[in-house]
Amino acid sequence: MSVTITTIAVTFLIMLAIMLLGMPIAAVMLLIAAVGGVLTFGWPLVESMGPVMWSVMNESLLTAIPLFILLGELMLRSGMADRMYAALSLWLERLPGGLLHTNIGSSALFAATSGSSVATAATIGTVAMPALNQRGYDKAKSLGSIAAGGTLGILIPPSVNLLIYGSLSETSIGQLFIAGIIPGLLLTGLFMGYIALTNKVSAEERAARPRLPLSQKLFALTALIPPALIFLIVMGSIYLGIATPTESAALGVVAALIIVAVRGQLSFAFFSRCFVQTARTTGMVLLIVLSAFALNVTLSLTGVAQTTTAWVTSLGISTTALLLLLVVFYLLLGMFMDVLSMMVLTIPIAVPVVVAAGVDPIWFGIFIIIMCELGMVTPPVGMNLYVVHGIRTDGGPFLDVVRGALPFTLIMVAFSLFLIAVPQVVTLLPQTMFGP
Amino acid sequence: MQRLSLILSWFFGLALLALSLFVTAETVARKLFNHSFQGADELGGYVLAVGGALSFTVCLIERGHIRIDLLHDKLPPSIQAILNWLATVLLGGFGLFLGYYCWLVVRDTMTYNSIAPTAWATPMIYPQGIWYICLLFFSVTSVALAAIATKRLLTGNLAAINKDFHPKGALEELTEELSDIEQRR
Repeated sequence: MSVTITTIAVTFLIMLAIMLLGMPIAAVMLLIAAVGGVLTFGWPLVESMGPVMWSVMNESLLTAIPLFILLGELMLRSGMADRMYAALSLWLERLPGGLLHTNIGSSALFAATSGSSVATAATIGTVAMPALNQRGYDKAKSLGSIAAGGTLGILIPPSVNLLIYGSLSETSIGQLFIAGIIPGLLLTGLFMGYIALTNKVSAEERAARPRLPLSQKLFALTALIPPALIFLIVMGSIYLGIATPTESAALGVVAALIIVAVRGQLSFAFFSRCFVQTARTTGMVLLIVLSAFALNVTLSLTGVAQTTTAWVTSLGISTTALLLLLVVFYLLLGMFMDVLSMMVLTIPIAVPVVVAAGVDPIWFGIFIIIMCELGMVTPPVGMNLYVVHGIRTDGGPFLDVVRGALPFTLIMVAFSLFLIAVPQVVTLLPQTMFGP
Repeated sequence: MQRLSLILSWFFGLALLALSLFVTAETVARKLFNHSFQGADELGGYVLAVGGALSFTVCLIERGHIRIDLLHDKLPPSIQAILNWLATVLLGGFGLFLGYYCWLVVRDTMTYNSIAPTAWATPMIYPQGIWYICLLFFSVTSVALAAIATKRLLTGNLAAINKDFHPKGALEELTEELSDIEQRR
């Protein structure tokens, strides 16, 4: 039994409406899955969801989700980000735009933090704000660069969001991670290039800079070694085909544990904080992933993806036009939805549609992630905007943050258009890797 | 409730650490000594099933299950209370759903004495049994919270509903993070 495109659209809108009323996303998806299933096939379909629940939760590939979240918590709560910020600021402050580069650079380097993005933004923000205020940086620019930098984490691997994309779209997670590297670096470079071009080194800023001997600056770089080492272990083992993503996450956790232990930071309170946060974030992610798979049962049996694909094909638009429409669609959706919900709701339908149009699913994964990054910094619900606004202590208007983030938002839109024009930027590196 | 959340989190965290050590040992042994003692994958699956089930309850207690609060804050308190009650009841429904339909899975496993098609040949009732017990934590907690919210709704205690069951916004989470950063320094 198949459904019409009108039914699909109406159901999707009803689901969005219930979600906007503040109902738990996971519960709404399960509700729609169950109601849709019963209406089209009766109770046997719902009964088939029990085994789906077990098979999703028993999938060792998805074990990488809590492991990466735990890895991020261990790194964040042991203060690795704080120390890294200090080290980077010594090196990047000479560039025009000074500390603003540090905001972007440390966010990018700390992308291995797959835990709470709020926690990351809060950490970078609290370290950065006093220094930025003290040296009289423009408010909007400071806030905007922290908000924009915070979006890089979901693109630069290892990324829990890419993992979720991989599992829902049945694409290789290793390849997705590797594919994220070049776009992640390019986007970081674009952000920093923009800052360098639009800022000048003022005389007072030059005077405010502490003069440090080179030896001290070189020594400061040791703060970068732990996160760099963990990144190399995790990504290197995936690239060389030594480990699966789950195994690489486990290697990362052990490495982080050793580093934290060597620094003498292991304590009951430290573990408690890490474990509760890991459990909380995992529970949030996994319950949504679980309901997404339950919804997938209903979607696939009712042929929603096929109907949508056939409908899109009948429109007769080119692949480029389709992708441009998707940019607009995701921009709108991202304005009032969080990243995770946006992903799990759209992947099961969007991926078959674009793959039928000849788009590489790995490429599309990176594309969706960039669309999600945009959602994090577009009002009214750009989460990073709120978090960054919440960190500031001067009580200035929210509009400052929005204004500061706007140029970065435009860069991201331009970057996604660039990826549509030159897809090889994404697909080249995964083709050279040794692993599966 | 906070104590329960902490205890469950420790079980979850220790399971993840143990798994990490096991997988690391396995990976190193496989690459350096060409010896695989197998089962890392299987164990990983069980840790996710059991740990994931525990994490649902932690997330529930910490009010971490995602809700969009864009419109919520702009509504009058009475409407907010009804929506918060409804959200709590929906999560209770989720708990009942898992409790019932996952029971069918465990029942089938017991009926057929299923054994995992793996090197370990684990009788499935062991991991599934523990998984199911952990899921029941979530079912019981979510239904209990729904019952509390319903009682408050019936007695007209709307303020109490809003106090304990409102969606956790980014700002509330941020406040917690900032106090954590304070402690770290």
